[in-house]
Amino acid sequence: MKNMMTVFRKEFYRVMSDRRLLFTAVLLPGVAIYVIYSLMGNIIGGQVEEVETHEMIVYTENMSAEFADYLAGSEMNVKYEERDDLTFDEIEVMLLEGNMDLFMSFPSGFDERLVDYEDATELPNVDMFYNPSKQFSSNTYYQFQSQLTAFSQAVGLDRHGLDYYIFTINQADEDYEIFDEQKATGQGLASLLPMLIVMFLFSGAMSIGPDSIAGEKERGTIATLLVTPIKRSDIAIGKVMSLSLVSLMSATSSFIGIMLSLPKLMQGENINLAIYGVFEFVMLFTILLATVLVIVGLISIVSAYAKTIKEASMLILPFYFGAVILGVSSMFSDDTQSNLFLYLIPLYNTIQMLIGILTFEINTAAYLVTMISSLVYVSIFVYILNRMFQSEKIMFSK
Amino acid sequence: MKVLEVRNMKKTFSLSRKQRAIEKTKETKKIAVNDLSFTAYPGEIYGLLGPNGAGKTTCLRAISTLIKPDEGDVFVDGFSVREDSYEVRKRIGFLTSELKLEDHFTPNYLFGYFARLHGLNEEETLLRRDELFGRFGIGDFQEVKVADLSTGMKQKASIAISLVHDPEFIIFDEPTNGLDILTAKSVTDYLVELKNAGKTVIVSTHILSVVEKICDRVGIIINGKMKWTDTMDHLHQSSETLEELFFRLFEESEGTL
Ligand SMILES: Nc1ncnc2c1ncn2[C@@H]1O[C@H](COP(=O)(O)OP(=O)(O)OP(=O)(O)O)[C@@H](O)[C@H]1O
Ligand SMILES: [Mg+2]
Repeated sequence: MKNMMTVFRKEFYRVMSDRRLLFTAVLLPGVAIYVIYSLMGNIIGGQVEEVETHEMIVYTENMSAEFADYLAGSEMNVKYEERDDLTFDEIEVMLLEGNMDLFMSFPSGFDERLVDYEDATELPNVDMFYNPSKQFSSNTYYQFQSQLTAFSQAVGLDRHGLDYYIFTINQADEDYEIFDEQKATGQGLASLLPMLIVMFLFSGAMSIGPDSIAGEKERGTIATLLVTPIKRSDIAIGKVMSLSLVSLMSATSSFIGIMLSLPKLMQGENINLAIYGVFEFVMLFTILLATVLVIVGLISIVSAYAKTIKEASMLILPFYFGAVILGVSSMFSDDTQSNLFLYLIPLYNTIQMLIGILTFEINTAAYLVTMISSLVYVSIFVYILNRMFQSEKIMFSK
Repeated sequence: MKVLEVRNMKKTFSLSRKQRAIEKTKETKKIAVNDLSFTAYPGEIYGLLGPNGAGKTTCLRAISTLIKPDEGDVFVDGFSVREDSYEVRKRIGFLTSELKLEDHFTPNYLFGYFARLHGLNEEETLLRRDELFGRFGIGDFQEVKVADLSTGMKQKASIAISLVHDPEFIIFDEPTNGLDILTAKSVTDYLVELKNAGKTVIVSTHILSVVEKICDRVGIIINGKMKWTDTMDHLHQSSETLEELFFRLFEESEGTL
């Protein structure tokens, strides 16, 4: 125990007394996240604003005078142009290049056909061409489509009176959007945070693990350590503890970076972390702790196996990418898994638990499975690491 | 008697593909040490003399419990490296031939670190540090990072740190390698001091003059085998010099030089 603490303190001091390591392992994750997110937030925010203030460019053909009258009441920011002698190919090019947001073609005599509808054999059709891959164009399309729908309902009411309607939807003066604001905020967080947290836990451990273990082999200093009369497990656990503490620090730093940049990232949408109570934070912390231990255990084993720092870093990469893929997959699901067996999968269980905690859907059984299985994995990892430190083949391979 | 006895030690390594390519061999196994036996006594310096790749480092690593012999055993003060590696480690000071100290730390910090791992208390550590750092003139450099020390100062710090716990058995792998003659002399002088203090000292080297100057006994090891071992006194009584003996043994074993 005493020796374990001695090893732990020395390894921890190694990082703390090295400004460069301190910067890359602890400070950088937080600062990087903050900068990236703030920039992202500004770009996204700018886009939203632009769409709102953009002047819609709409080309029309046989524009219905009735519809134009109807539109006069709305406050849309539109610039109308006539098709004139543009060919359809030219219209296509303009839509593709963003010089036109919408092309709206009414059949000729549209307004008369609306009046003489009783003699008609077919319905008049309005064509609207737009480019769904352009934000301005699709936004214009949706606005005009809903105006046209409302216009057609108004015409229908004129023709048939109330008989026209079978029923109405959401016409009473009520607040129809009912949602749990907390949960919505939580889901916003849950789509991004788990992946980022796992990524930064990994990169924190990755920046120091290879140096602390493979580095000692590469430089040959491991021999001096191994001839001292202390247990190999003290060395293994001491190193794992120190790596874990540093990884936790880099996770905390990324966490702070995320929190500080969230208001900018989710511009307009209210993000208030006060929705989480002590219970959620305790859960979050214990899950993070367990995850850190699993990741550090894994990285330590890989580092002990590798002969050089470089080899260790290379061998860790596949695990890192695996973790990132797990994280990305979580971005596209709103709900957490309920199958308890899935919570036996390391890292996957962390991500699921994080989503659960952030969206207030904590499954106690899943929490227990995650915590207990993580601790079992860590014990196995430390046991393997201990055996590796005892193996001359691994410690002194050529 | 605090003797160190190597008894019929054999150690085989399996060669990685990369190593086979380097050594241009098809063999998958390399017998690094083959049926090696010798005894080192207190108050003496035992010199393990051999060319590159003879098996010196392998032998010293096995004595220091870092690797296990396949066959045979080593007894340090009666404790077997196979059975009681913990007891053996308490009694030995081992200096590896590679770089030994982490660049980032100062000699003072590392001295304290290894002192704690060897179970010394604060007071003992300070006393021992003043003694060893004073002896090697490290005092002025004790707060300088290892990375910024000269090669000689690094080696002196390594030696001081390998001896924190004042071990009875001292095992140094090529301790004068890469040092200028002044530093080399201060190292060999210190080894003689240790021997005079009654310690059992084993050094490996490929330099004949080191053996001539400080060793009381010598073992000539070629290709993993002990070709000759006796006291330097007996050698001096014979008609052969150490150099002649060494070359003769090498030719007998390998055919040519
Ligand atoms: N861990 C290992 N794996 C495989 N082969 C090894 C290993 N350690 C040593 N050998 C091989 O065993 C032989 C003896 O090596 P050793 O390092 O003991 O020699 P040495 O006498 O110390 O040589 P040097 O003067 O170069 O230090 C060499 O052929 C070496 O390549
Ligand atoms: Mg050697």
